[in-house]
Amino acid sequence: MKRFGISLFAMAAALAAGAPAQAADEVVIGAVYPLTGNGAAVGLDAKAVLEVGQDLLNNAHDPIPMLMGKGGGLAHLGGAKIRIVFADSQNDPQKARAEAERLITQEHAVAIIGSYTSATAATISQVTERYEVPYMSADNSSPSLNQRGLKWFFRTSPHDEMFTAAMFQFFKDIGAKTGHPVKSVALFYEDSIFGSDSSGAQRKLAGTSGINVAADIKYRASSPSLSAEAQRLKAADADVIMPSSYTSDAILILRAMNEIGYKPKAIMAQAAGFQEQGFLTGAGPLAEGTMSRSSFALDAARTRPAIPAVNAIYKAKNGKDLNDNTSREITALMVLADAIDRAGSAKPDDIRKALIATDVPGSQTIMPWAGVKFDETGQNTKGTPVIQQVTNGTYHTVWPFDLAVQETVWGVK
Amino acid sequence: MTAIILQVVIGGLLMGLIYALVAAGLSLIFGLMDIVNFAHGELMMLAMFAAFVLWQYAGLDPLMMLPVVALLLFGLGVLIYRGLIARALSVSFNRGMVQIFVTFGLAIFIRGAAQFVFGGEFKSINTGWLAGRTAQIGGVYLPLPQVAASLVCLVAFAGLLAISRTEFGRALEATREDRDAVALIGIDRDRIFALGWGLGAATVGVAGVMLAGFYYVAPNVGANFALIAYVTVALGGFGSLLGALVAGVLIGEVEAVTAALLEPSLKQVSVFGIYMVVLMFRPRGLFGKL
Repeated sequence: MKRFGISLFAMAAALAAGAPAQAADEVVIGAVYPLTGNGAAVGLDAKAVLEVGQDLLNNAHDPIPMLMGKGGGLAHLGGAKIRIVFADSQNDPQKARAEAERLITQEHAVAIIGSYTSATAATISQVTERYEVPYMSADNSSPSLNQRGLKWFFRTSPHDEMFTAAMFQFFKDIGAKTGHPVKSVALFYEDSIFGSDSSGAQRKLAGTSGINVAADIKYRASSPSLSAEAQRLKAADADVIMPSSYTSDAILILRAMNEIGYKPKAIMAQAAGFQEQGFLTGAGPLAEGTMSRSSFALDAARTRPAIPAVNAIYKAKNGKDLNDNTSREITALMVLADAIDRAGSAKPDDIRKALIATDVPGSQTIMPWAGVKFDETGQNTKGTPVIQQVTNGTYHTVWPFDLAVQETVWGVK
Repeated sequence: MTAIILQVVIGGLLMGLIYALVAAGLSLIFGLMDIVNFAHGELMMLAMFAAFVLWQYAGLDPLMMLPVVALLLFGLGVLIYRGLIARALSVSFNRGMVQIFVTFGLAIFIRGAAQFVFGGEFKSINTGWLAGRTAQIGGVYLPLPQVAASLVCLVAFAGLLAISRTEFGRALEATREDRDAVALIGIDRDRIFALGWGLGAATVGVAGVMLAGFYYVAPNVGANFALIAYVTVALGGFGSLLGALVAGVLIGEVEAVTAALLEPSLKQVSVFGIYMVVLMFRPRGLFGKL
């Protein structure tokens, strides 16, 4: 009888939303990712991890200590299953727009999740706004995405300004802890939108934190040589060098500094190239001590007990550990599924209300975040990043201090 | 202060000599047969991967593999000429476009094939006699792998100049002057062209091996150097070895000084600015004879 009631309700809801009736025992979520083309490697990982999430949500299994970790379908929807329908954006904003539209109108998706690049997220979220279904941004990091007055946009991941704020909070904390605060930074950034946005946020925060910008160096990405740039960093000799670089430049600048006998006191990277395996092998011992922000900490199992279980299942399926992207993707799916479950309805408007009411503590996720709680722009304000440092060739979490697996090696005197 | 200035100047010189050597092969082929090899950077990339593979699987030091890789690239150059360029030269319609697209297509093919075989990850040669070593003289730092690369570069230029004095060199020169007339005096034009391609590829192979000693190795690494090489050849004068040497060093210095005094992101603006000024007053380049 209860099932029947929900069915009727769902039918009415679906009719009200202008979509054909849905069986209540299945809730369709659309996922738009680059499954072919130049973003395919990331997109196929996203597909794999979302399928892992779908299995965890629907099937019976040993409970995992996290949000929606019990399995067996959506309890408040009579055990309804989540079905994810994937669509290929080919990393093209226009194809992403068309695919999002198709997922909503043909596949009757009640929410869309996506999409790796911020450019595709911008078009998808326009479509979801028009059709009034929630867009769950799992892994898009451009700060402007939630600043467009959209009602149906939600983002669990931190964006680049929050990442930068975390770096400066770390500077403050480590200064208080060691008695050696950061007095000056050198900004070193490549000349495309990533570098200019990242350095813009850093410049602003250095100003408000009373930290001197000793050098402000915009360099040409993929230059054959960075030795003169290294010379300028050496001349400035700031307490912390803050690079925003892709992999090739990250390798080159560390080598170039070494070649002129310059050992920086500290490096704090805006992830990107510095989080790549190619950087760690390419820079080799020179990378030791380098710090970078990250939104995920694989080594935080002590405070996030769900990590080993989820990672093991994902690794068995895809042969890789969870990383910065895949961890954020499965977390976004769980947050969305929880909202649908709490709504007790597959009606987009109810899901939206439930998303707005979301307040999940960080310990209920696999992320090192304080939690998930959306502000009026749809941005998760509790998505606090971590700072990691390279020791023995891999990154280890050193901040926030309660999540740290080891002490920071702090070279600032 | 003098140490800083000296450091910038030396940094520019060390990089400039590499640019010169990369450009030398390009200049040689262009001067010989009026063909711009758009796959030049990719040949360098292949040499770097060859060095990487030899280092990884045979444990050879980059300096030891120099002759091996140079020979490999020589063979590849001859192969490219025989298999593609000679055929492209024989078309009778729109020959210029065919020549452009054959090397351009080759570049894209080689880059894609390298991505397929080696993957897109950045690789590096981390050990070797000189890897990561730096000498210090009076506050000026000299990275030894780059110093070695510069010396090899000078030796290679001396070698190329010596070759140009031999019988083969004179045949090259004669073929360049008049490719039809040489056939009349018994010079096999096809053979000269093939050897020219081999020599050009071997030269960029030497540059690639030396570069691999202190640079990263990746399928797109050639593109970063190819653009500089084209400017070097045009600035120095098409077909002029001395021009390539002088222009390479000049570009290295312009880059270093721009990055040290102005905005590092303006490096290429300065390089192309100087190129355009030279072009206005000497369209054939600094040492161009053509």
